[in-house]
Amino acid sequence: MRLSIYRFNPETDLKPRMQDYELAPEAGDKKLLDALMRLKTIDDSLSFRRSCREGVCGSDAMNINGRNGLACLTPLIGLKEPVVLRPLPGFPVIRDLIVDMTQFFAHYHSIKPYLINDTVPPERERLQSPAEREKLNGLYECILCACCSSFCPSFWWNPDKFIGPAGLLQAYRFISDSRDTATAERLAYLDDVYRLFRCRTIMNCTEVCPKGLSPSHAIERIRQALVRESS
Amino acid sequence: MRLFLGQRAWVLQRVTALVLLFLLALGAATLLTGPPLGYERWHALATSTHGAVLIVVFFAALGLHGWIGIRDIALDYIHAPMLRLALLAVVGVILFAIVIRVVLTMAVHFARGA
Amino acid sequence: MRARVEAAPKFLNLLQIRFPIGAIASIGHRISGVLLVLSLPLLALALDRSLRSEAEFAALRDLVSAPWRAMLLALLVWAATHHLLAGIRHLLMDVGLGSGLSRARTSAWAVIVAAAIVALIAAARWLS
Ligand code: SF4
Ligand code: SF4
Ligand code: FES
Repeated sequence: MRLSIYRFNPETDLKPRMQDYELAPEAGDKKLLDALMRLKTIDDSLSFRRSCREGVCGSDAMNINGRNGLACLTPLIGLKEPVVLRPLPGFPVIRDLIVDMTQFFAHYHSIKPYLINDTVPPERERLQSPAEREKLNGLYECILCACCSSFCPSFWWNPDKFIGPAGLLQAYRFISDSRDTATAERLAYLDDVYRLFRCRTIMNCTEVCPKGLSPSHAIERIRQALVRESS
Repeated sequence: MRLFLGQRAWVLQRVTALVLLFLLALGAATLLTGPPLGYERWHALATSTHGAVLIVVFFAALGLHGWIGIRDIALDYIHAPMLRLALLAVVGVILFAIVIRVVLTMAVHFARGA
Repeated sequence: MRARVEAAPKFLNLLQIRFPIGAIASIGHRISGVLLVLSLPLLALALDRSLRSEAEFAALRDLVSAPWRAMLLALLVWAATHHLLAGIRHLLMDVGLGSGLSRARTSAWAVIVAAAIVALIAAARWLS
């Protein structure tokens, strides 16, 4: 198979370049990540992140043939050749396919991604009814891979101010949690031209989420909650 | 300072959109039914009290809706604060002038028609 | 370290990114919106002229006799139709109607195709 990969070494390169590779995949190579691992045995200067190799850790997000995805969840079968691999769009490139996620995680932390509850804790745990627990489905599964935020045009234009789909999905995860008591504060924080309202419902985020989640739907629900709050 | 920040502009964009949608539907229903539209009928419709008021409301909603849209575009692509402010001010003044112009137009023709 | 991060390149070549259909509908919404704002002064003038006299009213109808003006008007017809339909789509999605991915894709296609067809019909009528 043929691949064309974005290369940039900050120590030697002034500008990024594309490098072509020829690779003969072996029988067990099913996913794009397998091919990349094999490629690394040929050219060990090629850099990319990976860990779990099964869509759990969120570290091998990249732009694959123009769309964001996880290499470990992308089957080799059906990939158009040459397979063009680039780092996540709009993120500063550290080296090759590795991007700087500092800002992405800063947005994540800004929405206070933990339960806030000042009431006296019960003797055992805070219980949820099955219906309350059900509300977290489609939200808690996010692995913070950044496929969505890095595919969102609104995030490209204002990466420092717009929280982005990943952070907003997480924000809604805590807004929906029956055990969290800070909903009003969370909503007040999000009611901002930049933080929430840069989203134009383009839905690029939902298009590329490798976990099949829908940040655009979470954003829609946050907006509705804001309208209800203020009316 | 919360005015036009965050949710308000978003809600206003939708409210003006709904107003425009309603007026367009009303206008289309009026113009496309009944006798073919010639000068006589158009003039009578537009310079009736209802017609004149609705036309002014339509342009006011258009101006507001347009300004919010331009503001969203400026927030996305223009990051120099002064440049952005200048653009939004200029567009705002022009759109406002257009609405005033429509008010004058309707006032003149309304007075002449009456 | 700082200097390096500041010099870090970014990949953001829009021509090398494959945009989903929703993004195409969205950029169309934006472009058509700008066109409509730009045409607003003309619309206000047209309103005035249409009410002045029988002759001015007829002159407005004759505008499309020049091909370049007919083309321009067809472009504005596209802008108005696309913006209107895409706007209705967004209003519905805001209240949760058709905001799932597959229906949003279908409606994005529908908006793009319908607006193009309406504009083509207008152009065909005026140019023939
Ligand atoms: S929402 Fe999906 S695409 Fe976005 S960070 Fe979470 S898992 Fe990744
Ligand atoms: S729906 Fe909103 S958050 Fe998702 S890609 Fe579009 S603009 Fe970004
Ligand atoms: S390697 Fe962990 S998500 Fe792909």
